[in-house]
Amino acid sequence: MELFLDFFANTGFAMADYRNLIMLGIGMLFIYLGIAKHYEPLLLVPIGFGILLGNIPVFKGLGLGIYEPNSVLHYLYFGVTQGIYPPLVFLGIGAMTDFSTLLARPVLMLLGAAAQMGIFMTFLGALALGFAPNEAASIGIIGGADGPTAIFLTAKLAKELIGPIAVAAYSYMALVPVIQPPIMRLLTTRKERLVQMEEPRQVSKREKLIFPILAVLLCCFIAPAALPLLGLLFLGNLLKEAVVTERLAQAARTSVIDSVTILLGMTVGASTQADVFLTGKSIGIFVLGAVSFGVATASGLIFAKIMNLFLKEKINPLLGAAGVSAVPDSARVVHMVGQEEDPTNYLLMHAMAPNVSGVIGSAVGAGILWSFIIG
Amino acid sequence: MNGLEAIVYHNGFSMAAVGISIVFTALVALSIIIAQLHKLLLVWDNRKALIQKLRGKRNASEAAKAPEPDVSDFHNIHEEARQFNILIQVMGEPFSLPELIYLAETRGIRHPHATAAHLITKGLVFPDNKGFFLWNHEVYNQLVKGSRH
Repeated sequence: MELFLDFFANTGFAMADYRNLIMLGIGMLFIYLGIAKHYEPLLLVPIGFGILLGNIPVFKGLGLGIYEPNSVLHYLYFGVTQGIYPPLVFLGIGAMTDFSTLLARPVLMLLGAAAQMGIFMTFLGALALGFAPNEAASIGIIGGADGPTAIFLTAKLAKELIGPIAVAAYSYMALVPVIQPPIMRLLTTRKERLVQMEEPRQVSKREKLIFPILAVLLCCFIAPAALPLLGLLFLGNLLKEAVVTERLAQAARTSVIDSVTILLGMTVGASTQADVFLTGKSIGIFVLGAVSFGVATASGLIFAKIMNLFLKEKINPLLGAAGVSAVPDSARVVHMVGQEEDPTNYLLMHAMAPNVSGVIGSAVGAGILWSFIIG
Repeated sequence: MNGLEAIVYHNGFSMAAVGISIVFTALVALSIIIAQLHKLLLVWDNRKALIQKLRGKRNASEAAKAPEPDVSDFHNIHEEARQFNILIQVMGEPFSLPELIYLAETRGIRHPHATAAHLITKGLVFPDNKGFFLWNHEVYNQLVKGSRH
């Protein structure tokens, strides 16, 4: 009987407290949203399952938990804490991304820059709420709506916040179709939403080939700290456009990014152990993350309206909302909102331009914050 | 420390202002460069014509006396036919004319478009009426025989 009681004391049933149960509920909610509601399933399912793994109460000292040295999860988590996984995700994104629309209308790139206002406004808000500068920078980057970038910067500046920041970033990315449309309708008139964009010009193969080389040199000379992310983003894109490296591009956009996404999602989820995650700071991060996302969307929309004051060929201001780098979800949302007003208005292709420039902008923003805080 | 005091203490306003300025600088610079990229490529593609134009302006009188391009060997249909015959053997019949011209271009054969037109006129290449072309072996053999005598 004594042996049985000893065994029972070491089971999850005996060690669990209400916080574990809350986190297990959140994990199941993520899995439900991913599978049943199709909200970013490739991210939410591994993260949700990771939350379950991280919140099964385990006996400390056996080397099982993610924060225990020598545990398997700890080794897998190494790729997150050292910022290895995010650049590999960027390699895959680069190999999937077609920059044609951006090359055809480079002016739309400014919308991607404007949406990064959210990062810096939230950085100020977090400082005002009493967060340390390294934490404030990590929270601010949620406004970039770019999960890998948020994880990369947090791994460099505030490792202890990776769990809440990653979960907040991916949650808001998944909730793009819920968060953005009301802001878009609030800040634009029906007339503006009806604006039709002109067909972009044809982009030559050589332009597409030269672009990743030019872009990596220029952006990394301006903001060298963005090199790990932008370097691999543009390498992936060059592999895609070079054609002769199709095998490598194929690997980058399938096996590499898929493997890394599984490891990244699962370990980030597992890092949300109840005792680390359920704190006042996490609530603050979630609130600021939502604000950050809203400000980023609003900045893009307002900037698009300002641009229209100077442009001969007016652009649809909804495109500004695609400046946040949730690729391709925010572009898809822009297209949907545009089609609600006019079903013949196809904005998806045009919205991809600010969307991919948002990826570049948020990586540059992360690099800048990193160099400011470390410097 | 909270509020404005915390922002000022941590130099937050400067960091935010400089940060967003750098993001804009990077993306504006990139957009300006890529906006000019296709124009630069166009200039590069037409560099020979541009150089000739520049030289022509400098030496207008010399340019007026410039010799006509040498097309004397263009009328030597035997050599053209022999080269295109080899390419067609590689491609197989029926063949696509644009593909033949492309192959000829990549292999450094002179005037591939004009040559193809010339071969069609002489009946060496003829359409199969299904969108492709065929090689007239009879005409080719006669041509080769004629050139040997």
